[in-house]
Amino acid sequence: MSLKSLDPRVTRLNLPEGETPAIEPKPELDQFETYEAFHQKKEGAAHTYVGPVHAPNEDVAFLFAKEQYSRRFACVGLWIARTEHIQVTPYVGDGENVYEMMRVVEEPTERSEEAEAYEIFHLKKRGKAHTHAGRVMATSYQEALQEARNQFGEKGPIVNVWVVKSKHVLQSAEEDKDMWTTIPEKKYREAIAYKVMDKITKYKEEHKTTAL
Amino acid sequence: MNELAIKDLLYKLADDQLILGHRNSEWTGFGPILEEDIAFSSMAQDKIGHSLAFYTLLQELGEAEPDTVAFTRNANQFHNSQLIELPNGEYDFSLIRHFLYDNAEIIRFEMLSQSSYEPIAKVATKLKGEVKYHVLHANTWIKNLGSSTEEAILRLQTSLNEAIPYALGMFEPSKYEQELIEAGVYAGEEAVKAEWLKRIQAVIEKTDLKLPDLNTIEPKLGGRYGEHTEHLQPLLDEMAEVFKIDPTAEW
Repeated sequence: MSLKSLDPRVTRLNLPEGETPAIEPKPELDQFETYEAFHQKKEGAAHTYVGPVHAPNEDVAFLFAKEQYSRRFACVGLWIARTEHIQVTPYVGDGENVYEMMRVVEEPTERSEEAEAYEIFHLKKRGKAHTHAGRVMATSYQEALQEARNQFGEKGPIVNVWVVKSKHVLQSAEEDKDMWTTIPEKKYREAIAYKVMDKITKYKEEHKTTAL
Repeated sequence: MNELAIKDLLYKLADDQLILGHRNSEWTGFGPILEEDIAFSSMAQDKIGHSLAFYTLLQELGEAEPDTVAFTRNANQFHNSQLIELPNGEYDFSLIRHFLYDNAEIIRFEMLSQSSYEPIAKVATKLKGEVKYHVLHANTWIKNLGSSTEEAILRLQTSLNEAIPYALGMFEPSKYEQELIEAGVYAGEEAVKAEWLKRIQAVIEKTDLKLPDLNTIEPKLGGRYGEHTEHLQPLLDEMAEVFKIDPTAEW
């Protein structure tokens, strides 16, 4: 059986009839790396984890994240970090504080000569998103975590912490704010914004046929 | 201010955005990777939205309503440059066209946001952030692919050579050019072109691509005056196909 497409773009391609040829398998590891995206919902709000993207590098990851995570929703800024640059603590149960559970201070595997900036993200409850808690200066991930504990680790439950060097976070530029602030509300991009059900119901009413 | 001059400028801006918006939308479902499929579809929505904003300004100046203007004119009534109407070709051509066009479009929006004609200034100020993102999208890909594999570089270079004469046609002056400049509406096509050249050169220099010598190239003119390639009318027919089934339908 052959199907004819109603899409003129498909018809124009003059695709050959019949069986489609088998797809050649790609070489292994033909994959982009993953990057994690953090969005800022409004001016002054903390950056919050919004999801991953697959991309060949940071700049392209930024583009993909912009499309995927800020296309329909209010957003005024975006941060991108390569997944493998993010250090993750163990998870604890809801209501617990991971900083209090870390009894043993791990020895740093790698230490920089001078203190550098690290960004700290807290997960307050399982199922929620990691949110930026602040920035600390340290010479290693382990020291950054200790610093984070001293500076903002005491309040309430924290079930998991992400630590990433600031230099590994690509941050949207202040002068590019207008890329987002032009039209903050993008409802017209969602199917729900097109109110057609009333019209369809009305049409059905008007064209009702009596069952035999 | 001469209203005909303003209308001419608005038609040029609106038609460029509408036709390229439609071309971009032709990538929906056909993109080389899902993310680019989404990006081109998303830019299509932005561009068609921009054309609506400009057609609305035209309506305020006494022209027909936007749907009528967009869907019922023939090719010889459109003021877009010929670059915009060329078929998408393969992804390399669409990308090069997007790069050449949006780097010019952002300059127009920047200039117009300072325009002495307030209605245009307001619209340009509100929308220019979206065009800025379109430029970021184009420049990021050109920088990445333009210095990647031999195949990518060759494809982009071929498309660049093919598109350049049409790109120069974007700057075809209007017959009201001098009037628009003197009235402070915007700095005119020569000024847009000079700035455009600087910006595209800055990106191309970071790649293995070469900008052809522009002095040896004959620009493809006529688009601004309703002369188009054979590709525009079929695009318009397809774009208006549903509209024409019932032009009075309420959507």
